[in-house]
Amino acid sequence: MTPAAEPFRVRTLALDLPGVTGAFSRRLHDAGVPVTVERAAWFAEALAVVEPISRRRLYWTARAAFVSDRMQVPAFDRVFAAVFGAAPAEDPSGPVPAVPETEPAPANEQRRSSDSLDSPPSGATRSDASTRQPAEVTHDEPVPVLASDDEVLRSKRFDALSPDELARLYRLMAHIRLATPARRTRRAERERHGERIDMRRTLRGSLRTAGDPIRLARRRRRVVPRRLVMLCDISGSMEPYARAYLQFVTAAAGGPGATRAEAFVFATRLTRLTRALSSRNPERAIQRAAAAAPDWSSGTRIGDALKAFNDRHGRRGMARGAVIVILSDGWERGDPALVGREMERLRRLAHRIVWVNPRVSARGFEARAGGLVAALPHCDALVSGHSLEALDEVAEAIGAPRADDLGVSLEAPEPEPEEEPWPSATPVPGSSVAMPSGYGPSRGRTTPGWSLGG
Amino acid sequence: MTRVTGEAADEIRELVPDVEMLAQRLAAVDYLVDEGLATSMFLSLRLPQPLLLEGEAGVGKTEAGKSLAAVLDTPLIRLQCYDGIDAAEALYEWNYPKQLLSIRVAEARGADLREEDLFGRDYLIRRPLLRALEHPGPRPAVLLVDEIDRADDDFEAFLLELLAEAAVTIPEIGTIRATHPPIIVLTSNRTRDLHDAVKRRCLYQWIDYPTPQREVEIVRRRVRGASETLAVQVADAVARMRDSDVQKPPGVAEAIDWVAALSVLGVDELDVAAIDRTLGSVLKYSEDQDVIRAAGLDELVIPR
Repeated sequence: MTPAAEPFRVRTLALDLPGVTGAFSRRLHDAGVPVTVERAAWFAEALAVVEPISRRRLYWTARAAFVSDRMQVPAFDRVFAAVFGAAPAEDPSGPVPAVPETEPAPANEQRRSSDSLDSPPSGATRSDASTRQPAEVTHDEPVPVLASDDEVLRSKRFDALSPDELARLYRLMAHIRLATPARRTRRAERERHGERIDMRRTLRGSLRTAGDPIRLARRRRRVVPRRLVMLCDISGSMEPYARAYLQFVTAAAGGPGATRAEAFVFATRLTRLTRALSSRNPERAIQRAAAAAPDWSSGTRIGDALKAFNDRHGRRGMARGAVIVILSDGWERGDPALVGREMERLRRLAHRIVWVNPRVSARGFEARAGGLVAALPHCDALVSGHSLEALDEVAEAIGAPRADDLGVSLEAPEPEPEEEPWPSATPVPGSSVAMPSGYGPSRGRTTPGWSLGG
Repeated sequence: MTRVTGEAADEIRELVPDVEMLAQRLAAVDYLVDEGLATSMFLSLRLPQPLLLEGEAGVGKTEAGKSLAAVLDTPLIRLQCYDGIDAAEALYEWNYPKQLLSIRVAEARGADLREEDLFGRDYLIRRPLLRALEHPGPRPAVLLVDEIDRADDDFEAFLLELLAEAAVTIPEIGTIRATHPPIIVLTSNRTRDLHDAVKRRCLYQWIDYPTPQREVEIVRRRVRGASETLAVQVADAVARMRDSDVQKPPGVAEAIDWVAALSVLGVDELDVAAIDRTLGSVLKYSEDQDVIRAAGLDELVIPR
């Protein structure tokens, strides 16, 4: 592989492979493609087996070795072009055309002055010290008993908060527990009164009783919380609330394990923030999220954003059976009919849709915003969420069972809680154990001669 | 990842000495690849590393695994993932009825039966992962882990460990180590992000829709006896559908189905009446059919 291995050959193209590989991977890394030593080694090894006879072959070899997600392709293409010359555009079946980094945001009408306290405009975030919060927020504060200050904060409207208060708010938001309704998986777990027989454990147990399976071990399908997907409107009209809601979304997305939410923001386009928000440090997460979305405080295209969500994520499975939370005031620049259509699509996929609109709390509120009017028939709940207190309502709406589920419990009815001396002979709803005739479930009655082998 | 060594590696090297040869051999089993896919498949054979394929539904991800197995003339072992799949369904399970029967038989005969006898290899039901590990060779089997994104992340972690070691430990028996570590192809529809650890261990390839010319070739290879005119028209119509506003753009699989349906009906040239009768074989949502009908079915057959 290295020139040193072939001391008597004329040095050909394979001149400085380690050097080129190293430089190339470094530049890829700088461009944001996650490069590991392992991958660089693969690349070197790959070059040895592939023999890059053309630039195109080299391109595909490098891409196979370095790229681990489709999103990395544009960055990869740029670096490849810079190091090895133009990417192979002559190939019709070639690479996905590079997407421009940022699309020009259309209809960026009357951008609000950015000295307003709570909008982190994309460019300024990293350096802008005013949006930065004191570091103390993130550590060494055990859950305090709500001080009177916090009480005030709880009921204060989000649009009336100072940056300082916003920073304190995050800590309080993190304590809101978002629990989605449960769904049953196909995975089973041990359960005394489960609906299926656990053959593995039954057999194991039977060895203790000379091969007679006296006690039937049971399993039942595990219940897990449904996925939570949050779509947050960051357009101009939502600006007073955007920062607070982004914090709310961050708190939800940073939750433990399975309850972690998927997060998106939209104004003129849809941006997925789940990755950006996965940092342990909430302040950094919020900054990264703000930098990730290019369309802060621009116009609103709810319909397009919903369509993008449905097409790219929802239909593939993210929305299926999930609880969807949309944080928006429903002011739509585009066609409200599109909002209605896409909400209907989403409705068919999702378990429950909760619309959070801070203006609901205003006196004399009527749903007049075009997007909201179109969307409402497809929502399960409309809540205000204009203050921390009101967010509790949001949490409640998220956890509530679906309207048409009321009365029909998700779980099979629980069997009698009292202890049966012969749990195995008690018919459990959904169990497939055949009962010998004549042996009812009456308590205390023994069932002589009953065993699995007959 | 344990390396394929010795003869097996030599044999693979002989079979597919370079990317071109692999592409040719894949074409011989009616799977047409572009250079990107051919290169990454070649590398996954030769490095060897698991290959993660992503792309829209129906672009031939699963087919890639099947074709690879056909080229190598080794068994394809497929693990279809779904929500809640666990080790008992993916790796191994004990054959309980057989164990029970053995206990009874031993009892009747008054024979001596020890626990080790009951938990031996004779009583093991081998699920796909174990079968892939135990494949005796001479060439490694192709293990196709289909739609890994549908399994939950616990399973992903479990799979990862298995793939990295190419060995599995069954408490009652001990460690089973693969003599011929399988060639692994994973596919994903991107319903959720896979764990970074999985991505880090895999070569990655995004499969795009083929160009219309390539699609004509694919369709004609898959549907024997379809006329060239029909194939060209269908490829063109399908490309237009993908550009339009449908929820579920038709994949290559749908194009093949469509041509097959048209051929069965004896259609040699696409026209509005023929499309109208067979639209259900290419668009599977009534809303999508409405969109296309509203735009006018004749739009699909106008030459560009």
